[in-house]
Amino acid sequence: MQISTEILIRLHLCLSVAVFLPAVDYTKFSHSTQKHQAACSTCHRIPTKEWSRTSTFPDVTDYPGHDACVSCHRPQFFRGARPPICSVCHSKTSPRDDVRFTFRNPASKQQFTIEFPHDKHQDVIAQLRFAHPPQNYNNCTICHASRTVTFKAAPTDHASCFNCHWKSQQPVAENCNGCHKLASAPYVRAELPSRISSKFMHEGGGEKKQHVAECTTCHINITKAASLRGLKPDVPITACTECHNKEGLRQDLSKELVAIDKNRAFVCVYCHANNVGSLDPPASHYLIAERPPLKRKEIK
Amino acid sequence: MRLVIFFAFLLMVTVVLAQNQEPSARPTGVLRLRVRVKADDSLPLRGLARKRFFLIPGTLEQNRALVAAIEQQPLTTRDCYYKQHGASAALINWLKEGDCESVYCRSIEKEFVTGSTAVPEFAIAFAKSQKEFGNEEIAREWLTTNLNPDLLDGFYRDRQSVLTALLKQGTLGMIQSVMTDRNGTAYFTDLGPGTYVLSNLIPTELGQSMVMWNCEVQVKAGDLATEKPYLMSNRKEKNVKCVGVEKPKPVCAAD
Repeated sequence: MQISTEILIRLHLCLSVAVFLPAVDYTKFSHSTQKHQAACSTCHRIPTKEWSRTSTFPDVTDYPGHDACVSCHRPQFFRGARPPICSVCHSKTSPRDDVRFTFRNPASKQQFTIEFPHDKHQDVIAQLRFAHPPQNYNNCTICHASRTVTFKAAPTDHASCFNCHWKSQQPVAENCNGCHKLASAPYVRAELPSRISSKFMHEGGGEKKQHVAECTTCHINITKAASLRGLKPDVPITACTECHNKEGLRQDLSKELVAIDKNRAFVCVYCHANNVGSLDPPASHYLIAERPPLKRKEIK
Repeated sequence: MRLVIFFAFLLMVTVVLAQNQEPSARPTGVLRLRVRVKADDSLPLRGLARKRFFLIPGTLEQNRALVAAIEQQPLTTRDCYYKQHGASAALINWLKEGDCESVYCRSIEKEFVTGSTAVPEFAIAFAKSQKEFGNEEIAREWLTTNLNPDLLDGFYRDRQSVLTALLKQGTLGMIQSVMTDRNGTAYFTDLGPGTYVLSNLIPTELGQSMVMWNCEVQVKAGDLATEKPYLMSNRKEKNVKCVGVEKPKPVCAAD
């Protein structure tokens, strides 16, 4: 059998490519691939066709249709009985089963960050419902409803965004990039922000429920936060000690500092869990108690 | 000789690394504002809720151009803006009831989208939303998506453009802003020690007048404002450190 020079050259090229280029893993979809960076609406429909099946409001509730992939990935689509590319969206790679993962797949890493300027929203949505009791006063609860008696929840979907940002108020629903920016690398979003005073209860504060106040009474930095980056629990100790360390009222902080004086291994438990309560109290705590700061190791 | 150079290099690397590892602890201070106002002399002082204040680095003298621009800016009241943009009397009243600057201020209840108490703009947007979403509840909750942009957030955008223009005046550093809470309290944190100008930049509507605050404040390093707050008011009373200048509301061309 005679092999033509052209076939030999093609074979050589194919082998070279196979040796020098890393094999593409088609089971992993990345938005950072250059060809996947077209306008979002190239692949995603907003809202998706049958949004009402899984959502109470118009939303992107499903993966893009096959057309979005086939236009470029025809060879990968029709490769073997179980093409690896199918597993990006489908839980079973079989032509007889079209079951898909939940959209978006909770097991996959996040590829986009979320931009949310609290400062602008505080201005625009500022609610002034004088006729209602204080707990209904502020607008934070539009997005941050109670999750447990202790903590508030953060939005997990578009429900609290689209009722304003649907089609007229930028960034509108089709302008995904207005809020979602491609991250430098896939990441796993932290489930919860770190809690320092984990025993605080938003619904607490004794019989009068004095903790039920306007959010910005304690979260003093939130009205100036222009993005979610670097957002941190911003409650100063003074927000607590206005009541919890006041002469003639309560001395919850001072008492624990005195307890440390007597036993440097004492764990502060009134506000903190063991992991935080066993650390050195910060200088701000001593300042409130009108004492010079101390380290546990300095106590004999 | 080579050994000496090597150790010198090693020492330099160690110093550089040590410097990078220890963040320089910049002493900062806190400014706790308490803004209490009277719309009328017959009324008691009350906290000025939900108003934004700005902290501009430098003295009043250093920010003279900015302060002059603040004082000379043309003023438009909320009611006047909405009248000029053809808002119905019902919408203007709805905004006034909640002291709202935009329709995002509070939920739009059923009574305002249908029936005799309906606000015309809301009723039209509600009808459009019903067609679009096919669900009465979503149509009501999302009706702002079908409102005329000028009535939707035009007043807010107008204010923002005034602010942006004002802030383009030469300033000496980063300007911070905060919004007061229900009691009229707000905090500026992580402030470098020095002199600042505290201003609301855009006059605040209060009863029949508009109030402008432009005051010089000192921030000391390590001052966490745990004791007395910085009191602001439109009345010269005891302990008030910053008294606002009141002007009558301007006449509206649409009246």
